[in-house]
Amino acid sequence: MNRTVLIACLLLLATTSQSAEPPSPIEKYRKLEFPPKEENFEEGWKERVIADYEVINSAELPSLRAALKDEDPYVRAIAAYALGVRSDKASADAIAELVKNDKEYVVRIRAVEALALLKMKPEVIELAQKDPEPGVPFVAKLVAGQLKSEVDYAAQIREAYAGGIQREAIGSAALGKPAPNFTALTLDGKPFELSSVLGKKPIAIYFTAFDG
Amino acid sequence: MHQQAQLRLRKDEIEKLGAEAFVVISLDTYRTRVFKEENWLLGGGKGPFGKEKSIVFATPLSDPAGRASAIYGVSRRALRWGSWAENYPHWFVIDRKGIITYVLKPTFGTPTAYQDDVDHVIKELEKGAK
Repeated sequence: MNRTVLIACLLLLATTSQSAEPPSPIEKYRKLEFPPKEENFEEGWKERVIADYEVINSAELPSLRAALKDEDPYVRAIAAYALGVRSDKASADAIAELVKNDKEYVVRIRAVEALALLKMKPEVIELAQKDPEPGVPFVAKLVAGQLKSEVDYAAQIREAYAGGIQREAIGSAALGKPAPNFTALTLDGKPFELSSVLGKKPIAIYFTAFDG
Repeated sequence: MHQQAQLRLRKDEIEKLGAEAFVVISLDTYRTRVFKEENWLLGGGKGPFGKEKSIVFATPLSDPAGRASAIYGVSRRALRWGSWAENYPHWFVIDRKGIITYVLKPTFGTPTAYQDDVDHVIKELEKGAK
């Protein structure tokens, strides 16, 4: 009898482990702490970077579209942004709905960015410039010009994400060590390698937020 | 004083050292261009550079996926408008040999944030120029 029970348990375990699928990028993103606890702030940021890359690069479009209605506002926000980056024009109506009616301003901001990347719904971006939460009109005003530009900024962002990021490279710049190379874009969209100036002259780099 | 204004004030000193300043923004090139050229926060004032088209003296670089920012450890570390949209501002100084000789993270410990940052950066650039 005991042997039968043991075999049944082993079979059940084997079946469970075979059917367990890795969590989707959206599920991983949902598990991030927002806002993070203090003890997780220093370590958790690398996970946030990696989770961002996974959602943008590899989340399935249906799961992103469904995530626009997620209970978690941070999931709705990243889903809206990712759909903008992925140029999913089929989501424009749903994203516009978030701009107009989502109760969380973090979602409205990301949704405005997404519409600008899609180059759709200028009337909704204009409406967002009257949003009572200051961050929303700031971003809406900032991105309004993207609609008129011929540059495909969504493709630019996709290409940058597609390069991926190695976990061990994150946070690798350190005092007293050789400066790690990076690739960025100049204002005309051309690639710039830090290595092209390293070792030739002293350099100051300021990594800034938009208003700094 | 604002970082970019401080840097603009010290432009001649930086050029005299043969140094170069970059400003990296974790956004697409459109928004990086707006940062450089439209000066919403600084333009049009009565200050010494109020009539300049751009007060941003540093070479602007767009980092659309925040990859450079992540490598330098500043990405997704600052909550802003409830999200991880931007960098946590940091200065890095790199000497002529390509070694990072100075890292400055703002502490917001003074009434005027960033008050002396560019002083420190220029001092380190002077050392790095030798």
